[in-house]
Parts: sequence; C-alpha cells; structure tokens
Amino acid sequence: MTAEQPVLETHDLAKRYGRRTWALTGIDLAIPQGGITALVGPNAAGKSTLIKTWVGFERPTRGGVTVAGIDPWKDRSGVLGLVGYVPQAPALYDGLSVNDHLDLAVHLRPDFDRPYARQRLEQLGIPGDQGAKSLSGGQQAQVALALALGTRARILLLDEPLASLDPLARREFLHVLTDAVRSDGATALLSSHIVTDVEQACDGLIVLGVGRILLHETVADALATHWMAADGAASSEGTAIGSFGGPGGERLTLLRSESSSAGPNLRQASLEEVVLGYLASGRALPGEAAA
Amino acid sequence: MSRIGSWLVLSFRLHRWEALASVLGTALLAAAMAWFTWQLRTLAAAEPACLDPTTYVVACEQSPQAFYELASFAEGLSSVAWVAPFGMGLVLGVPLVSREIEQRTAGMAWALSRSRTSWLVRRVAFAALVLVSLLFVLAITSEMQAAAQMPTRHLDQDFAWYGRRGGLLVVRGLAALGVGVLAGALVGRVLPALLLAAFASVLIFTVISLGMDRWIEADAVVMATGDPEGGRYLGELVDYGELGRRGLSIEVIDEEDRLFARPEDVGHPERMIGWGRSLIVPGRLYPQIVLRESAVVGGAAVLLALAATFVVTRRRPG
Repeated sequence: MTAEQPVLETHDLAKRYGRRTWALTGIDLAIPQGGITALVGPNAAGKSTLIKTWVGFERPTRGGVTVAGIDPWKDRSGVLGLVGYVPQAPALYDGLSVNDHLDLAVHLRPDFDRPYARQRLEQLGIPGDQGAKSLSGGQQAQVALALALGTRARILLLDEPLASLDPLARREFLHVLTDAVRSDGATALLSSHIVTDVEQACDGLIVLGVGRILLHETVADALATHWMAADGAASSEGTAIGSFGGPGGERLTLLRSESSSAGPNLRQASLEEVVLGYLASGRALPGEAAA
Repeated sequence: MSRIGSWLVLSFRLHRWEALASVLGTALLAAAMAWFTWQLRTLAAAEPACLDPTTYVVACEQSPQAFYELASFAEGLSSVAWVAPFGMGLVLGVPLVSREIEQRTAGMAWALSRSRTSWLVRRVAFAALVLVSLLFVLAITSEMQAAAQMPTRHLDQDFAWYGRRGGLLVVRGLAALGVGVLAGALVGRVLPALLLAAFASVLIFTVISLGMDRWIEADAVVMATGDPEGGRYLGELVDYGELGRRGLSIEVIDEEDRLFARPEDVGHPERMIGWGRSLIVPGRLYPQIVLRESAVVGGAAVLLALAATFVVTRRRPG
C-alpha cells in the first residue's frame, strides 16, 4: 500500500438504529495512511458508530466501509489484525492488575508486544501490580491505549478516550499517542468533542454533525482557509459557512476563502471556531439527517 | 509460569466469585454426603443381616430403625445433588459473556482477540473445567451415599436416585452451562440473563425428560404393580383398551388377564378384582438409559454452545 492510498474508507455509509433513528447518513470518507486525524462532533453525531463500523462492531445499513481495503463485516479477524482499538470510556477488568491485562492481551493475541506496552506504562509511572480498580481515569485510559499500542497495529481507532480525563491527563494521553504514531508510522483516528486538545496533536480534521460529514481536510488547510466575521461584516470575501454566538454575545460568522490574506473586517478563525461554524451549519439542516 | 497455567490463573481471577461459590457449595455438599455415607456404613456394618429385605430376623425389629431414620434424612442431600448441576452451570455460565457486555469490557477484549469464537472457547473452557471437576466429585460422592443407603441393591442396574447420582450430573451441568452462556450472550446483563436462563433450563430439561420417557417406552415392560426390582415406573396403565398404551392410573384386569373394569366401575372398588399393572423400564437397562440420556443432553449442550457462539460473533459489544 502506498502512502497516498487511504487506509480507512467509507462509501455512502449509512447506519440506522431501530426503524427511524439514523446515526449516519451517506458518509463518504477516505483517510490517508499516516498521522492522526481528529474526528470531531457533538454528542450523538455518530462518531462512535462510524468507528465501530470500521472495527466490525456495527453493520452498515447501507453502503460499506473498508480498512486497508478489507470489509470488516466480511473479514473481521483480518481487520482486527490491522487495528488497535480504544473503546469509549475504556473499561478494564476490576479483578485484574495492570500486568494481568497485558498477560490477557498476550493470550488473546499471541503477537501482542507485551514489553512495548509495559515500557509505555512504565514511562508514565503506572505500576504493573496495581489493580485496575484503583487506577485513576487517566491511568485507565493510558492502560487502554497501551493495550491498543501493544498490538503494534498500523491503524489505531480511538473512540473518545479523552472524554472523562482532566486536562493534564488529556495532554499526557495525547503526548503518548503522538509519540507512538510518529515513531511507528501508524495511522490514528481520534474521536473527540474537545477541539482545543486535538489541535496540537492532529494532522487531519473531520467534522461530523447530525450523521454527515461537514468538513474533512488537514488542520493546516482548515486554519488557512477559514475566517471569522463579526455581525454585519461583509461576507463577500468568502463563502459563509455558519454563524454562532461569540463569547461577548456578538454574532460570529465563519467564512471560507482560499485567499491567503484577510480583509479588514476579518480575522483568522481558530480551529474551535472552524468546528463551531461547521456544526452550526449542520444544525441548520437537521432534516437531512433523517432523509 | 506455563501458558496454560497463566491462562488458568487469569481465568480464575476473572471468575473468582462464581468459581469460589461453586467450590464452596460442592465442598459442603460432598462433605455432608461423605459424612452420611460413613455413618450409614457404620450402622449397616453393625447388623448387616438386618438390612436384607429377603430375610426376616426377629432380633432386627428395632435395630435398623436408626439406619432408616438417618437414611431418610440423608436422602434430602440427593435432591440437592439433583439441583446442583443446574445451579452451578448457570452461575458459571451466565456471567461469561453478559458481564463483559454489562461492564463494557467486551469491546476491548473482542478487538484484542481476532476471533470471538476463540475468545469464547477460552472462557467456556475454564468454566467447563471447573464445572466438570466439581460435578465429578459430586457424582462420586452421591454414588457412594446411594450405595451406603441401599446396601442390598445393585445400583449399577437400578433406577434408584436416577439423575441424582453418577455421570448424568456432569452432563446435565454442561448443558446448563450452555443455557447460561447463551442467555448471557442474548441478554447482555447478568441478573436478567440469570432469570432467563433459569426459566429456559426448566423448559429445556422438562422437554428432554418427557422426550426421554417417550423414547424409552419401547423398552418398557408391563408388570403387576409391586416392587419393580430396580426398574423405573413410566406410568400406570388405565386405558380400557390395549395394554401397550400408556395411561394415567391403575388398570384392573381379571385372573385370566382380561380387562375387568369398565369406565363406569372407576370409583367403585368393590366392583373391581385383579391387580394393577404398570409400565416399567427394567433395572438392567439403567446403564443403557443413562448413556442414552447423556448423549441427548450432551448433544443439547453442544447445540447450545454453537448457538451462543453464533450470538457472540454477531452481537454488539454493548
């Protein structure tokens, strides 16, 4: 596989729960090999569902997904051989110690790199003989990450591992993740609804809202091509994406412009504002999700 | 530590409470059975002739009393031995999958293990190992107690304590384990799955029991009601037609083996003469019937395990 070939793909992916609730509606995505891509969206946007379809935990209602060209529903074991997965709110076995978890991983997956996972945890000062029950939320997330990294998988799928962590633990988690991805040349997809944390760590950005993709590009491009306009400012300098309330109560509008210089009434948008602007645009069209 | 040893230790840590509860329950029951066996043997050894029903010894009129009182009390344990395979099978089987789903560890485990089938096999293998070991102990202790309690009978050819002693305990436990694993995989929550599994066990084993009775009717013989000599009553004949049909109460026939009673005679014993007849499976068929039921229940256990595997490979991790 070349570096340009996408490792994670979806084609017209739709997922429905029950008869009426659509979690995803017609998603087309192609995530290239290498780097960390942030999958950002509000609660119930479909982030977990999207990741679970790649792991083979959810069957698409329509369309399909592939991991390195393999359909997870047809060849789940083939996909799981390529993927390291950190579930949402990682749950560990209460009755097992940290080392027991690593031993269990070796039993479940004979090629699991126990020394590598152990080393990652030692760097964080997490003792191997400590019971999982007595670990902090941040430590539990680190153990879950170490279990995923120990698979030495080329693709890491992380389903909101930061959600319950304090800022310091989030930063530490992202540091370990970026370090591992950069050193191993892996591809990681990290879902989160905390934009500020992923800004520094991620190369790519996917904004998912109400079951559809609102934006998918590199973080650098997203920052370079989006601008903020205050209420009443001319929007002729770019395409208006969405409006939302600013911190002082003013109305802010996100504009997209390929121009490299901003007009007098514009300022460069932060990544959080880019995401908010697209989510606002997504919310304006709620009917599409159920279409 | 060897790979198998490490797997056993990890599996025990994952299922320590249900494993310990099963070990404790078995130890108590087996110890109680062993004590009663010892006591009954001691009493029987004191006056061996007194327990022989074929002879009458005047001096024995009082001496077996203590033996029979103790035997009556001890017989309750055989009922516990009858229930034990179901209880232990469910306690060990239900949490195997359901607790993983309920406590959200299934996602991590199923992603680490490339094959959910092999993950399930490892889990079930440990539970089955514990269950078979413990039920094997109960199977032996219950046989020993039965032998002590019925010293004059040949229990290898006797339906006494059918399903409360011997290898059937082990096979029934494995089938209950299968019910538990399947219910846990379907429901994904421990307590509701336990209730479902208990209900399903009653249903499944009732159906199997009725089916087995139908099956062994072909081997049954008609005999006058009395001591079946180790045989097993299937039913008493009542039909006022051919003898081969199974009925619900006693049929009355005359001395020439012809039907005497008519429907209108029922309830008027003074009009009836002759003797009752019953369908009996002879005691000599005991090993064959046990083997047959073991095959049926074992087959059910395999089917239940396959069904559980099917569910696990297709369900969401929670």
